[in-house]
Amino acid sequence: MGAFLRRNRRLVPYLLLAPGLLWLLLFYVYPGFQMAITSFWSGSLEKGFTFALENWTNYTAALSRFSGYYVRSIGYSAAATILTFLIAYPLAYTIAFRGGRAKNLLLFLVVAPFFTSFLLRTISWKIILGDSGIVFGPLKDVGLLPEDFRVLATPVAVVSGLTYDFLPFMTLPIYVALEKVDKRLVEAAQDLYAGPWRRGGTIVGIVLGGGLGLLLGQIFGYWPPFLAVGGAVAGAIIGALLISESFVRVTFPLSLPGVFAGSLLTFIPSMGDYINAEFLGNPDTRMIGNVIQNRFLTQTDYPTAAALSFILMAGMLAAVAVYARALGTEELTTGRV
Amino acid sequence: MAEQEQGVLGTPVTRRRMLQGSTLAGMAAFLAACGTSGTSPSAEPTAAPTPAPSAPPASTAPSPTQEPTPAQTPSAELNWANWTYYIDVDENDPNKHPTLDRFKAKYGTTVNYQEIVDDNDTFFGGIKDALSGGQDTGWDIVTLTDWMAQRLVRLGWLEKFDKANMPAFVANLKDTFRDRSWDPGNDYAAPWQSGMTGLGYDETVTGPLTSVKALYTDDPRWRGKVEYLTEMRDALGLTMLSLGLDPARPDRAGCDAAIAVLKDAQDAGIVRDVKGNSYAEDLKSGDAVLAMAWSGDMIQAVIEKEGLRFAIPAEGGIIWTDNNLIPKGAAHKFTAELAIDFFYDPENAADVELYVYYLSPVKGADEVMLQKLPEIKDDPIAFPPAEVRARLVAFGALSEDDEKYFNDQFASVLGVG
Repeated sequence: MGAFLRRNRRLVPYLLLAPGLLWLLLFYVYPGFQMAITSFWSGSLEKGFTFALENWTNYTAALSRFSGYYVRSIGYSAAATILTFLIAYPLAYTIAFRGGRAKNLLLFLVVAPFFTSFLLRTISWKIILGDSGIVFGPLKDVGLLPEDFRVLATPVAVVSGLTYDFLPFMTLPIYVALEKVDKRLVEAAQDLYAGPWRRGGTIVGIVLGGGLGLLLGQIFGYWPPFLAVGGAVAGAIIGALLISESFVRVTFPLSLPGVFAGSLLTFIPSMGDYINAEFLGNPDTRMIGNVIQNRFLTQTDYPTAAALSFILMAGMLAAVAVYARALGTEELTTGRV
Repeated sequence: MAEQEQGVLGTPVTRRRMLQGSTLAGMAAFLAACGTSGTSPSAEPTAAPTPAPSAPPASTAPSPTQEPTPAQTPSAELNWANWTYYIDVDENDPNKHPTLDRFKAKYGTTVNYQEIVDDNDTFFGGIKDALSGGQDTGWDIVTLTDWMAQRLVRLGWLEKFDKANMPAFVANLKDTFRDRSWDPGNDYAAPWQSGMTGLGYDETVTGPLTSVKALYTDDPRWRGKVEYLTEMRDALGLTMLSLGLDPARPDRAGCDAAIAVLKDAQDAGIVRDVKGNSYAEDLKSGDAVLAMAWSGDMIQAVIEKEGLRFAIPAEGGIIWTDNNLIPKGAAHKFTAELAIDFFYDPENAADVELYVYYLSPVKGADEVMLQKLPEIKDDPIAFPPAEVRARLVAFGALSEDDEKYFNDQFASVLGVG
């Protein structure tokens, strides 16, 4: 074998790729092809399905009827991605720079929830967020919240569930990127007067925080100005007190590959998720995954389900391509200082 | 989903213990069953079941169990796909099912009994490719709900019973289940259990309720705390009853009318959510105070939370039935028939019933239950009185086109269309 490989050097990369390629071919390309065929079917389970290219109307029909669900899914997934980023970045930063000897333990804690089944974790949120559960029950008892206040069966619950589920996927890539940052670069920046960033941080914080608040308010259906003001205040405080110029100019740019990977790992699975919308939401919060599930399993409407899946896949590929172009993966992975 | 049991966390054994508090009855049943293997000659091979003279109630005498035609012998194994908590369980060993053990001993076979059915659609999704390709699904008995059984009949994906092997089924099937419109002659589906769909509510919040209209009425006591079922036939059926329509004869106009009522109630903010059997958890936690509910869930819920009630509304309730079916190409059809028949012995049926507390389709089972556990007659959910049973309606059969139409319309209630 060794001799064979030495004589045929050029085969080596292909042989190394073979298991992965075979896997993809069998479990991705082939089912994808099947799905493409299915999306051009017409008919029904009992009368039989027939394939015809004229059935491209399955796509237009699906898109015109269900486009609202794509929009909602994008909104929820974007909100979840932003929130995971806001939570994961400080977490990863702390572990990478202040973790010390506890680093491994902290990393373990980040992935610890994975030891419980996804479904159980989602259902446990129902208990925590229950109308008279451990969080809202006491608040209602002392009159801080109105009796009919609820979070379950609202978009907030769905986005919170998504945020929680994908937090490790955001934390770990950012941690890896931050871990690699050469501390001497930060010291050099500080020597060059990249110190606290009070005025700039305040302004940027107000703009970013306010904008995020406005966006989340739109998605959650709460009164947007309220969240926008809150976001602006929080942004100003964080910007003024916690952000230094060396972070903005050195550390953060160097961690962007992690942010890029983390946001893809969060956004893409969120788009297809239907468990959170099913268990934590209500009929007003269903996502495109729920529609596909209903079409496929309940209605045995395989053509529409396949067309919807394809639209989702194509849309996501396009979005990722744009995102990669905007952030420039090539440049990011090689580092830009 | 209507047939889903007490939720994941439910422990139905509590009820049995509460009512009974003894394992002696199980022992007695075991001894009684040992004596039932009579050896009368072959059964009459009638194509359609002759409406048997109603079995003498309350008799502990063995049911007309006849030995099968001698040509066939039971296979060494039998594969049965059923729902969770849907057969009796040994009090000391949750993996043992006393009635199944008796079946195994009687016929010298093994039973691979799997609690694998979570909902009809998902299970159907798992077996449809094998069936459409003419292959064995790996299951000899599958227990599925009426409407799914109807679909399988329409598709021709079920084996026809050889009733010569099923004398107890022929004799003891209750009359209401005979010659159902989608299975005339009872050739394909043998009812396993029936359950009721009615109102579940917290009486301490809502006060006593008798009308199904409460579900669609805006009332400050339950605004935003009402839940509907995701099961189309239950949700539409109850709503049709509230409109004075007959769910036994569903048509598109009735469907549209019911959907309009459901949508209006959702738009008015009366409804919190539309869900499967997790509504029971919400009733217990107080997140919901009024819901469309299944008897099987509520039997447990009313024990766990003071004030919860289950009622079949004055306008009527829905009865649904899960059926034992033999999928086309099943490897052990003969043994499957023996197993289906075995549970039409009132003794065996009663033992299952005293654990699962649904409604038995077997004549004589109720009487055996009353003998074994007289207190049960005071339990209106486990043992509904005759006037309640009279108000139950089964949702009628739908053609494929109508089923598609109903499901498509109902998707808007589910929030996915």
